[in-house]
Amino acid sequence: MTATLALPSKGRLKEEALAVLAGAGFDVVPPADSRAYKARVAGRDDIEVAFLSASEIARELGAGTIAAGVTGEDLVREGLADSERRLVRAAQLGFGHADVVVAVPEAWHDVDTMADLGEVAAGFRGRHGRRLRIATKYWRLTQRHFSQEHGIQLYRIIESLGATEGAPAAGQADIIVDITSTGSTLRANRLKVLDDGVILRSQACLFTRKGDVPPVIGALVGALCEG
Amino acid sequence: MGVLRHGYADHGSRPMTAHRSFAARADIEAIIAERGAQRIDVPVLQPADPFLDTAGEELRRRIFVTQSETGGVLCLRPEFTIPVCLAHLARNGEPARHGYVGTVFRQRRAGPSEFLQAGIEDIGETDRMAADARSIGDAGTMLARLGVPAERLRLVVGDQTVFDAVLAALGLPAGWRLRLAHAFGSDAALEATLERLAHPAPMPDLPAPIAAPALAGDARALEDAIQADLDASGLGGAGGRGAAEIAERLLAKVQSARMTPDPAGLDMLRAFLAIRVPLGEAADALGAMQRRTGLGIGEAVEAFAARAAAIADAGALPPTVEYRASFGRRLDYYTGLVFEMRGADDEVLAGGGRYDRLLTLLGAPAPIPGVGFSIWLDRVARASGETP
Repeated sequence: MTATLALPSKGRLKEEALAVLAGAGFDVVPPADSRAYKARVAGRDDIEVAFLSASEIARELGAGTIAAGVTGEDLVREGLADSERRLVRAAQLGFGHADVVVAVPEAWHDVDTMADLGEVAAGFRGRHGRRLRIATKYWRLTQRHFSQEHGIQLYRIIESLGATEGAPAAGQADIIVDITSTGSTLRANRLKVLDDGVILRSQACLFTRKGDVPPVIGALVGALCEG
Repeated sequence: MGVLRHGYADHGSRPMTAHRSFAARADIEAIIAERGAQRIDVPVLQPADPFLDTAGEELRRRIFVTQSETGGVLCLRPEFTIPVCLAHLARNGEPARHGYVGTVFRQRRAGPSEFLQAGIEDIGETDRMAADARSIGDAGTMLARLGVPAERLRLVVGDQTVFDAVLAALGLPAGWRLRLAHAFGSDAALEATLERLAHPAPMPDLPAPIAAPALAGDARALEDAIQADLDASGLGGAGGRGAAEIAERLLAKVQSARMTPDPAGLDMLRAFLAIRVPLGEAADALGAMQRRTGLGIGEAVEAFAARAAAIADAGALPPTVEYRASFGRRLDYYTGLVFEMRGADDEVLAGGGRYDRLLTLLGAPAPIPGVGFSIWLDRVARASGETP
């Protein structure tokens, strides 16, 4: 029985994932054709590597078509309903760090916390005739952070698939929920992260499905956790 | 009423079939007519924005959303009040009581995702007290006619106006009132908010050009400094929050950081929120609290007493009618009376309330009063099957 491990198909995530696997004794043999999306691991025929886009990995884990996958935690938490119940975060791999944060204009000097934001949101329609608007591509994480953790219901999400930091200045939204690694893009756009505005400290992780973990994946997890 | 009771009771928890739903509809239509309401039909497919704007983004997870060819976001109606109000506005309607029965759709992890609901929305009636009492009477009568007699129900009543009056009379800072009002309807959220207000607020940490006017209480200079920041961020003309609004709230924050929390006021608020008495004794309990605390809530208490008396005359009332000061619905369009009728296992069979702010939010040019209720027919079917 061959277990499928999915890795990001391109970029730094791919390179770093391969390096971490090699360090754990799992040498991924590059396919003969560099454009191919399947690879094997040297000396093991019970595991197969599939290169997928980082966001597809979350979906395939949810669908159960792969046994394990390396991808950003943000993509899993956002892309898969109930990921805590369905998947196990078997190892944090120490690269691909990025935080999903709530950021508001720096000029909002009266807003430092989610509680401040809740107050602003509660009075927003009375003042402006519309709800507070949040630009983000993280619908699920935003709803969970605002509604379930901070009891803030009165806002609308404006879907933003790119250049989210520019949404407030463009008048598309009032605040944003976005990913940041160094904060420099936020600063350049004069946005600040709320004191309790870090929704998720994300990094690349190895996720497995809850329940049936093939032995080879168990061995990989063990090797990663020792290293 | 025969069809619904017998149609469901024999089948326990088996899901409704289209045929049985249809039979129940015919039944409800007869009751709606008996109560003197006009039958209204609204489309199953509705624009999603009014629901998301009023209930908030959290609702999105619980509704079925789809898109029209032109990009409009539509959903399967998750409830009836908003579609009925929209239909009322589209007709430029005279005051009317709209009765409805039909399917609503909610996403759930398990179990069915469509439910049969019926209810009456009373829109435009300016005699609010009479309309409130009639709405409760209609709900009780409808339940009784569907096989759940009043003896098997408990009615829980709350009143947003009394809560608002207490907050205003306590003289709390505007920001506090907003937070408390927003938490109203959830005991946990209210308790968390009260807990936070019991501790001194920290002084906001501000950059120097903002701190100087903020601490000096110089509103004009503060506004100018904030405006400069907004302009520098390209937010000057972006719409949304302006310098005046930010300055006002910041000055209020500075003021609350300097203020010692008022434990007496918060204790009064807690004592008020703890009131849970039979509705018949509620006006006295509120009056006693008013005399004890000296709070200026006399007018609200008088109106409450009159409404309570009207409700007591509404008929079809359950033997237990409880007033809970902290009972509310966490939607900011409810403005007054809220109520729930619960069955034997504390399941809510009918819920409703007054929503005088809703029609304006949905686009009415002038305020239009409204009150109404919805009955969960599938729960009623189960409850009516139980032997008393």
